[in-house]
Amino acid sequence: MAEDKIAFVFPAFISDYRDDPSGGIPSFGPVFQSYLARAASFIDQELLAFHPESNPMLQDELRNQYISYIYSCSCADLLQKSGIRPEITAGYSMGIYASLCFSGSITFETGLLFINKAYEAIRQTLPNTYYAMGGVIGLKEEDIKEIASQHNLDLMIVNRNSDYSFIVAGSSFHVNVFLLKAREEGALNSKSLGVTIPYHSNLLAEAAKVLSATVFSSDVKAPELPIISVLNQDLITDAGRARNEVVNNIFNPFNWQATQMQMCRSGIRLFTECGPSQSLRKNSRFIPDCGRFVNWNSLLSQ
Amino acid sequence: MAKITEKTRNEVREIVFAFFAEECEAELSKITDNTNIIRDLDGDSLMFLELIEIFKKKYNLDIELKTIGKYAVKHPVDTIGQLIEMQMLIIEHENRLLELDK
Repeated sequence: MAEDKIAFVFPAFISDYRDDPSGGIPSFGPVFQSYLARAASFIDQELLAFHPESNPMLQDELRNQYISYIYSCSCADLLQKSGIRPEITAGYSMGIYASLCFSGSITFETGLLFINKAYEAIRQTLPNTYYAMGGVIGLKEEDIKEIASQHNLDLMIVNRNSDYSFIVAGSSFHVNVFLLKAREEGALNSKSLGVTIPYHSNLLAEAAKVLSATVFSSDVKAPELPIISVLNQDLITDAGRARNEVVNNIFNPFNWQATQMQMCRSGIRLFTECGPSQSLRKNSRFIPDCGRFVNWNSLLSQ
Repeated sequence: MAKITEKTRNEVREIVFAFFAEECEAELSKITDNTNIIRDLDGDSLMFLELIEIFKKKYNLDIELKTIGKYAVKHPVDTIGQLIEMQMLIIEHENRLLELDK
């Protein structure tokens, strides 16, 4: 395994820490608490009250993003201190912030600032309607499009996890109708993601413009480690591309399947998910010939 | 229509039990037909999808996922035993699975 090229992948935020692999790692707590204290001091004092078990903070869409970012940064930090260096990194959705931070493109605090300003920009610019995102498993892309067309549903496919797993976004009415119809049409599962923002949809184009003022006036450096874009699978090699990725990530669909496949084509055979869930590991089984995942905690104990 | 033999039935049971024991890090001896997949094993639809793919390959099945999905809406699966029975029907009837409801 030591000879396999490894990628660090940074997940999106979650509200369920049941699979959290950090429990058996004594060194994780102090690192996490240290990042948490920095975040509390910089952006939100309430973060100090966070505890992964039964914490209402995980239902707060902004604070939940801070926590996920802090967790991912802590995890990657520990791996690096253990001498594990990835060939490449990728950020699933908001995982881009941790990916940029780990790669030395932005500071930890700048990542928090981007999360905060993106959220503010979205709340400021999104029309006063209810929105949602949903996941559907077991239907093909053409089935999803056909259901949307048949029922006049205005929604977007905003991510392809695999050939049979997609994320959609739009108004909550349209997304919820779609999720019901998807089950009737043979989806093995369809469920709301429990968010009120249609991330990665063109509904956030205005928000991206507002966010860009912060991103383009902040200190962003060329990544010291390659980062692959989940939007177009290009390498993010300079500060300009890093800035564009942050802005474009808000309102453009991404393709996780293509991203993981591109990493595999470049020789990556091993992935580790720098976060509290195992969602990317579970999903990877449906991306053919695409290496394998190992839990980050097992890498630390080697 | 494939004929389900005792051998097939045993193979399917063995694969399903071993699959959930590994995926859910559960003791094989503690999984029974009455084990609830979500409540007792913390299973999910991705696991169901993976199992279907395993059986599609193993028995060279001609069945669309959405056919299985439509059938599952009317015949929800909660337990390991129900899942095994559904897999038997999938192997036996393939894309004609929905005709069972007619």
